[in-house]
Amino acid sequence: MENPKFVYVLHINTSPQKLWNALTQPEFTQQYWGGRRVQSDWTVGASIKHLKPDGAVELRGEVLQADPPHRLSYTFTSPAREGEPERAPTRVTFEIAVAFGVTKLTIVHDGFEPGSKQFLEVANGWQAILSSLKTLLETGAPLPFTWKG
Amino acid sequence: MNTAPKFVYRTLIATTPKKLWAALTDPEFTTQYWGGTRLESDWTEGSRIVFRWQGKIVHDDKILKSEPPRLLSYTFKPLHMEELLAEPASRVTFEIEEFTGKSKRQGAVVKLTVTHEDFPAESKIFPMISQGWPDILSSLKTLLETGHAIEFEW
Repeated sequence: MENPKFVYVLHINTSPQKLWNALTQPEFTQQYWGGRRVQSDWTVGASIKHLKPDGAVELRGEVLQADPPHRLSYTFTSPAREGEPERAPTRVTFEIAVAFGVTKLTIVHDGFEPGSKQFLEVANGWQAILSSLKTLLETGAPLPFTWKG
Repeated sequence: MNTAPKFVYRTLIATTPKKLWAALTDPEFTTQYWGGTRLESDWTEGSRIVFRWQGKIVHDDKILKSEPPRLLSYTFKPLHMEELLAEPASRVTFEIEEFTGKSKRQGAVVKLTVTHEDFPAESKIFPMISQGWPDILSSLKTLLETGHAIEFEW
């Protein structure tokens, strides 16, 4: 059985620098990422945290690569549910390029165990987050839906 | 091991199912976001669907399912590249659902799922469509949300 890997490509009518800012600034991420503030100083080896709207830490990880505005990669571990064993960290990589005069974003999320249950949640989550990110950068407002918690 | 590949892409669009259906089936609309390709059909099951690009017929396919504004499926066989003609037709399906997220809906958001399947194990077309759908669907979303498509040429 293969290790599942999520790959998603989308084109956004913005500049690489604006997309980089949208991925790395908490004031921006909280608009399209279900209210999450993504915090880090974005240097290699630095810690990264996702904070929920109530301030609780939802995810923690480490920056692996940061080459603004081209490439960003970090690990993160989502907290296990009660009674479940601790989860292994996974890795997400954002690649930013220019194509057709707009900005192309490629997201690769890997490091899942074969048969990972987390994988489907992650895939659904990215599709919503990235759709809203594109809408925010192109129209000035995110998609009109909210997440729980 | 060779397994038959399958491409799945989901995107959320601030629109209604009816407007998205129109965007998938109106030739004037498709020309704007499909790299200049005009899709023509009467969109009933069993009917022909023709793709025209720069006046030439580049696909001559068949509608398999048509349930406006929820479900559309047709065969898919490019005719404009000699080296691809031996490959059998594949199948693409568009599913349109209202999206509510995890809490109450605040506006019209639609989830579009595009599934492209029935490829042979060593398909030459599969890598092309895997690149092409994100281009087309990114542009479609931009067109519906802003009124202007992302223009691209392959």
